[in-house]
Amino acid sequence: MSDPNATRVLFEDFAPAAVALFYAIAAAAVAVFGYGVYVQVRKYRRGAAATLEGGLGARFVAMVGTVLSHRTIARRDRPAGAAHRLIFYGFALLFLGTSTITLDYDILGPLFHVHFWRGAFYLWFSLVLDVAGVALAVGLGYMMYRRGWLKLPKLDYTRPDRKPGDPDYDRSEYRREDWAFLWTLLVIAVTGYLLEAVRLVWLAARPEVWDTRWWSPVGAALAQAMQTGGMSATAGGEWRLGLWWFHGILALLFIALIPFTKVKHIFTAAGSLLARDPLAAQRLPRVPEQQQRVGVQYITDFTWKQLLALDACTKCGRCHEACPARAVGAPLSPRDVILSLREFANRTLDSGALPAQAELDVHGKGVGQVAMETLWSCRTCMACVEVCPVAIEHVPIIVQLRRKLVEEGEMDPQLKKTLQTIHKTGNSFGESKRKRAAWTKALPFPVKDARKQPVDVLWFVGDYASFDPRNQKVSQALALLLHRAGVDFGILYEGESNAGNDVRRVGEEGLYEVLAAANIGSLATASFKSIMTTDPHSYNTIRNEYPDFGGRYTIEHYTTQLLRLLQEGRLGIARPLGLRVTFHDPCHLGRFNKGYDAPREILRLIGCDLIEMGRCRANSFCCGAGGGRIWMPDPPGVDRPAHNRMREAAQIPGLQVFVVSCPKDLTMFEDALKGSGNEGAFVVRELIELVREALGQEQGAPVPQALA
Amino acid sequence: MSGILVIAEQRRGELRPVTLELVSAAQTARRAPGERVAVAVLAEEPERFIKAVSVAGVDEVIAVPVASKEFDPDALEAAALALIAARSPSLVLVPHSIDAFGWAAALAVKGNYGFATDVFQLGYEDDTLRATRGGYGQKVNVEVDFPGKEVVVLAVRANVFKPPQGQSQPAVSRFEPPPAPSRLRGREFVESSDGADDVDMSGAEFILAIGRGIGEQANVQQFQELAGALGAALGCSRPVADAGWLPKSRQIGQSGKTASACKLYVAMGISGAIQHLAGMKHVSTIIAVNADPAASIFSVATYGVVADIFEMAEALRENFPG
Amino acid sequence: MKILVAVKQVASLDEDFEIRGDGKDVDADFLVRDLNEWDDYSLEEAMKIKEAGSGVEVVAVCVGPADADEALRKCLAKGADRAIRVWDEAVAGSDAIAIARLIAAVARREQPQLLFAGVQSSDHAFASTGVAVAAFLDWPHAAVVTQLVYAPGGESAVLRRELEGGVLHEMQIDTPAVITIQLGINTPRYASLRSIKQAAAKPIEVLTPQQLGVAEAELGEAGSASRVRRMYVPEKSRAQMIEGTVEEQAARLAQLIRERRGGAS
Repeated sequence: MSDPNATRVLFEDFAPAAVALFYAIAAAAVAVFGYGVYVQVRKYRRGAAATLEGGLGARFVAMVGTVLSHRTIARRDRPAGAAHRLIFYGFALLFLGTSTITLDYDILGPLFHVHFWRGAFYLWFSLVLDVAGVALAVGLGYMMYRRGWLKLPKLDYTRPDRKPGDPDYDRSEYRREDWAFLWTLLVIAVTGYLLEAVRLVWLAARPEVWDTRWWSPVGAALAQAMQTGGMSATAGGEWRLGLWWFHGILALLFIALIPFTKVKHIFTAAGSLLARDPLAAQRLPRVPEQQQRVGVQYITDFTWKQLLALDACTKCGRCHEACPARAVGAPLSPRDVILSLREFANRTLDSGALPAQAELDVHGKGVGQVAMETLWSCRTCMACVEVCPVAIEHVPIIVQLRRKLVEEGEMDPQLKKTLQTIHKTGNSFGESKRKRAAWTKALPFPVKDARKQPVDVLWFVGDYASFDPRNQKVSQALALLLHRAGVDFGILYEGESNAGNDVRRVGEEGLYEVLAAANIGSLATASFKSIMTTDPHSYNTIRNEYPDFGGRYTIEHYTTQLLRLLQEGRLGIARPLGLRVTFHDPCHLGRFNKGYDAPREILRLIGCDLIEMGRCRANSFCCGAGGGRIWMPDPPGVDRPAHNRMREAAQIPGLQVFVVSCPKDLTMFEDALKGSGNEGAFVVRELIELVREALGQEQGAPVPQALA
Repeated sequence: MSGILVIAEQRRGELRPVTLELVSAAQTARRAPGERVAVAVLAEEPERFIKAVSVAGVDEVIAVPVASKEFDPDALEAAALALIAARSPSLVLVPHSIDAFGWAAALAVKGNYGFATDVFQLGYEDDTLRATRGGYGQKVNVEVDFPGKEVVVLAVRANVFKPPQGQSQPAVSRFEPPPAPSRLRGREFVESSDGADDVDMSGAEFILAIGRGIGEQANVQQFQELAGALGAALGCSRPVADAGWLPKSRQIGQSGKTASACKLYVAMGISGAIQHLAGMKHVSTIIAVNADPAASIFSVATYGVVADIFEMAEALRENFPG
Repeated sequence: MKILVAVKQVASLDEDFEIRGDGKDVDADFLVRDLNEWDDYSLEEAMKIKEAGSGVEVVAVCVGPADADEALRKCLAKGADRAIRVWDEAVAGSDAIAIARLIAAVARREQPQLLFAGVQSSDHAFASTGVAVAAFLDWPHAAVVTQLVYAPGGESAVLRRELEGGVLHEMQIDTPAVITIQLGINTPRYASLRSIKQAAAKPIEVLTPQQLGVAEAELGEAGSASRVRRMYVPEKSRAQMIEGTVEEQAARLAQLIRERRGGAS
């Protein structure tokens, strides 16, 4: 029953004064909204300049794709993804709907005498918006259930970086705001339906309205119920008037307050996604030569992009949940670093005049400030950056704050000493440079010096793999494998220094530059086709960061090389191992550089039965050694990430081997195996060692029999 | 120029045992048999020490009254300078001690004497005085001589020479030094009182000492328990005391305590820096546990174990239940 | 008011070092150089006084060849205002006393209120240079100082120094004075690589002994209080190493301990 004249008369029965009043209120709402936007933009502009990666067009397309697909919200939390899609599309459609009406009524109509909001279009329009409203309400309903009943740990706002009694410990204001947001939207939606319904009751006598009422099914159903309840047309008219103003003003109020409330994430999230740097934590920003101060001290040292990102956070808690430091009780939650800084920025940068510089210092234990202990707890594992749905880049923020601490010497004494040692000897063990290749002496063949002879593969060994006795065995095992496979490889001997990945993440940018320059200098004297490394940390920095310093190379992690050798048959499996294993993705190989598959394929080829841990691949749980933490003592009596991981592995029934492919992981987990009481339950092995066993080259130490 | 002059060291009424070791050192440095060895006591009441220094090998004791009861380098230097000028010994021995750090070099400069410190071997060869000290962190030995110097002052390392056995009846004389203005005013002696501790390292016969190798403060407890189970006093090297993980009174070494009464010293996680060795290398049985096979401590230890100190501590504990 | 801090670039031995042809020193190829550990503390103590007052100038001085500039840069990076290096071929072979003569000459030139030196150096450990400088200048001196209280511009300082047996002696000393600084007196600040690089822009004044009025005869072997005849690697005594598994080693240790500990078991 489609009537070409079907439409809704706007402002029906309104006195001109009332219409004018409405428009005045709307204008005021828009003005308030505009002012709010101005204050926020002014705040961002008080930050430092930023260079964005990649072209605007590509980033825009990526952002739109991410937003429309809701990929980042649905990851690892399908219900939240589904509910937010409902809210997003519901709201978007309703908003588009209102805009359509405005377009028709306020623009095209008066100017060009074109009215398209009528007839079939109007009817379909009504249906779509009714459905959108249902979607919105259902989504909101789920979110309320999620917060109120499920009480998810990630939505617990208790912050680990403050104690009860601290002025900014209490988070009730955030909870109130969250609930206010949910309820306001819900009330707007519900009153919209009620308004629809009472209008139908009021105009029940008009056939072009009443006969097409089922194109607004919810409204129609409600109207039916109201009539059954005895509402007369007149009463309907009175209700309609009241509801019209209530719904209208509430909606306008909502719009006006967007820039002042959590609702602004609509824009800030999109903005943050638009400015996203896909290599944010993998490639840290340089310090420009001429820059006076190093790192971030004042809130205005952050770039406008970072200040915008602070506003994009919706407290979803995914970073809080993923953080290994938070998981073991350290005073760090990436979420709370962002929220602290946001509160600080709002407090200082929202006002008309910029406060004195001294008040802009973000370091310390005051309200909104970030404490040293918080910053030093970070493992730079980038679990937070990886999982954040709105592309907040926590790790670069933390590193830039650390740079200032390093400049002032405010760090753990052991860390200080290690940095001085690295500066003096080029390695974190304090060993003479000459001893770097000492591990090769035990081999039955000489290892080529890549500085003197050309090689196919330059093996960048790394500190731990060169100097730590346990890891030296692994290096020797790999050398034997490569030799057996006939790979032409060499090492840099004394020409290799610590690659600098962790030095950079500690915030000692000056020392990093020295190390990078030294290594790039050594590599320049060598002749090779590609670089291979056993150390994921070195892999990350050489691959992603050395190009900024003039060193561009083809580099692979050993797992890629080893897989190729196995697939090409240059290494033959003598006996499939048949072991029940799990694989721990090293942060810097997996999450940082997406190297998940090669090790798994190797495990499959050597006949191992791989059972994944819950937190695997991109969600792997850091061993705790990153960010320089391996050079700092852990506070006594506190849990450690590696122990936490062991407990996770121990839940796999019949697990025989916990497989790692990073020297620091090997060190951390072998310690943790004992410390967490799992010695004898399963063993920790490097992937190379298992490959050697499978090749029949070596009988490893006995592995516990799988329990039935 | 002839004769050997030993300058005694005393503090607060007690003669320091190193003085007697110097008398033994003097015996090895006699240019000719019969060369006289004199011991000078510089103190407010020097006569009180005559009996204590009258050991075998001492030909003369010289009492030198010095105005100050406190340790006053100016007074000591002036008195020693005058004494040397008056008695013309060819060799003057002082201990290489914390006290002597404060004045021995000044004495050598003022008198334009030959000078070497931390000497652990000395003697005449081809009629020239030679002394041996360490170099590059005690990794090498350096032999020095003193061409053109009529008087040589040597600061001799402690715990190298054994004190002489037996007494003697030396001639006793007195020497009045000229008055010397003092530019220091002593205020008080302060016992290292951080962590009021009743455990005296210098009296302990069995010491378990921990070093930087223990890594962090949290690990001290494991070794505390081990020491208790073994019946040893828990001591440490300087870095541990500096970090505050154990009270300063537990520090053994050059500027801490000397393990004088110790018969058995077990060092865990101690690399063997010279300052630490100075306090314990004389102990008759030293057992060193360290993960680094090249640690210097192994060159002074009687027995050595290359192992992870935590594993060893645990395994050792199992051997001493209760 | 000025504080002069005397620092030394010490050398430590690399693996497998060799003695030089003339037998008097280690082949320079095997020497790894760094700022003396004690000097970190001296410089920090000077910086503390500088930062507590105003108008305090901290000057670092080092006797050494060109590569000693690195040690001075570290001092400049940590906040020293100026740096002076003294060198000339004639200085080679000088012992602590001859070096002290040069430092004293710098002090006469600079006229500081305080002169800091480390108690000893980590390579040759003469433990003499600081006090020898005081003798050349005839200044009051205190060695092995673990605590210092000085108001910039004051006429005296109160300090605590170590004596044998772990005793601390508190005393008051008139200035100008020479103080030798012991480890642990403070917590030396960290010099970030960036500050070290920036310190490269600050000039280091290089002086010759002649400019300081010190004659050649007062330097090198001729001006020293001792002369090196030879340097050699001693017969290294070695502990009897106990082998085996951790359990076996522990059992043997336990046996030794029971035998040797004396007194009540």
